[in-house]
Amino acid sequence: MTLLLECREKIKKFYRLNNVLIIPILKFMIAFIALNGVNTMMGYMPKLDNIAIVMILSLACTFLPAGFLAFVCAAFSVGHMFAASLEIMIVGVLVYLLLFLLLFRFAPKDSYVVVLTPLLFALKIPYLVPIAVGLICGPLSAVSVFCGVLVYYILGTIIECAPTIVSMKAEEGSVLLIDKIRYLIERLLSDRTMFVIALSFALTVIVVYAIRRLAVEHAWTIAIVAGVMVNLIGLLIGDFKYDIELSLGSAIFGSILAVLVAMVIQFFRFFVDYARTEKVQFEDDEYYYYVKVVPKLSVTAPTKTVKRINTNTQSFAAVTDEQEFTDYDEAQEYEEAEETDYTQSQAKSSKKKSSLFGGKNRSDRDRRKSEAKSSDGADFGNTRAISTERTARPQETFQYRQSSYNTQGMKVGNEQFDDEQYIEGEFDEDRTSEETEDYEELF
Amino acid sequence: MINEEKVILMTKLASYEKRDEDKYRNIDSYFRGDYIILQVMKSIVAATIAFLLCFVMYILFHYEELLQNIYQIDLKEFFLQKVLVSYAIMVGSCAAFSYLLSAWKFHAAKKSLKNFYQNLKKLSAFYQDNKS
Repeated sequence: MTLLLECREKIKKFYRLNNVLIIPILKFMIAFIALNGVNTMMGYMPKLDNIAIVMILSLACTFLPAGFLAFVCAAFSVGHMFAASLEIMIVGVLVYLLLFLLLFRFAPKDSYVVVLTPLLFALKIPYLVPIAVGLICGPLSAVSVFCGVLVYYILGTIIECAPTIVSMKAEEGSVLLIDKIRYLIERLLSDRTMFVIALSFALTVIVVYAIRRLAVEHAWTIAIVAGVMVNLIGLLIGDFKYDIELSLGSAIFGSILAVLVAMVIQFFRFFVDYARTEKVQFEDDEYYYYVKVVPKLSVTAPTKTVKRINTNTQSFAAVTDEQEFTDYDEAQEYEEAEETDYTQSQAKSSKKKSSLFGGKNRSDRDRRKSEAKSSDGADFGNTRAISTERTARPQETFQYRQSSYNTQGMKVGNEQFDDEQYIEGEFDEDRTSEETEDYEELF
Repeated sequence: MINEEKVILMTKLASYEKRDEDKYRNIDSYFRGDYIILQVMKSIVAATIAFLLCFVMYILFHYEELLQNIYQIDLKEFFLQKVLVSYAIMVGSCAAFSYLLSAWKFHAAKKSLKNFYQNLKKLSAFYQDNKS
């Protein structure tokens, strides 16, 4: 577990340091994959199926707001529809307008959800969408997920119907254009699978969100499991009632995959130690506060720094290896290993020095060794000193994170806590979801 | 000496200003009723356009029946009973959803801004203490 936590800290640190690059690269990749996906799925207009155009538009999407990507994807698909048939384009534009006017305008900032949902459907991992969105985004994202599912199935129906529509001939006494439009609308409205899955996913998002915000222990785990159950039950009811095209095996397998990915999301966003939960009570001029404090599980990622402590021509490097241990035994092992290293390096050093300064005897070396052990990283002139910090507990850093205590006039400035803590309670509900803004920034 | 609490408070305020201030200040410039009415009006306009599109699709879908029975259909009854009722349901549901959503957003914005101003007051108090 310590290793995993260290890895998490390293990833977080890497992200913090490089998010200026990581976010644009991710945006570019999503745009590139989405536009290529549209081209691969539809591909009726060869002019649009051009890597240079895709690259340029993806690059534009990288630096423009997220809504632009949704617009470009819609425009791309409309272009392909136009190349297939004018009637398809008319229906496509009407449907997109309806989706925008009735649904998407309520959650305009979730463009990435709308784009990623069809993409994950195409990658055969759609069951991940409602769980992940429920964990990361808000309840309004249910609308975006609903839109995304509709877009995927509408495009699928259009692709399915395109050859029939192109080859349709006018019946006696009817207008060909209207016949084609009617045929397509009929196919779209008769797709019960689309409506069942869209409704089930939207409901799952709301359930996951509602449960994960509850002030109960293991809320996130309960939310994940409940979300998967609600989704499966919704799909099964839809299957029984409307006989939709649902593969139960793929639904169960997809749900298991969704649980695993959701666990990873939980590990990065909400990994707390319920065993060390505390309930504290304090007051200010206006309120009494009954606060449940749940500490986050975290360790400090080990860092290695090389210090030059002598600038003479015969300089040696003192290596400071700062590592914090969760267990004393581990620290002991580490120290023994370092001591071996120390002895070897000391032997080399003294051999080298004996040739340079006329030699040093063993007692001198031992004295230096004992000094190194006692003063823990002090300057030893020309010798190589290695120090370790030992801690019996995970991290006694006394970090006070006021951003977690978003209260109304709460005076907690003098409180000291063992480590980073997550507080559950009425007053910080809004803030806690905003704490990891870095990860939400993309969405 | 660096006052850690003050630095945290300032960082928090700066972060808020960068991230949320514009969004919430825009909402804060309205009274509650004005903001909600504006959002509901926008929804009504959007729903009306959406209804017209749906109506066009309906006409296209049933044009043969409509053309065949155009003289048998009581147009007044058709428009009053079917079209207007459908319009009322669609616009009404959109407006109701928009009302709930804008009321919730307004409440969230007010709460957030209240916190922001309280933090500003705390920061101001720090400076007052330093002066005295």
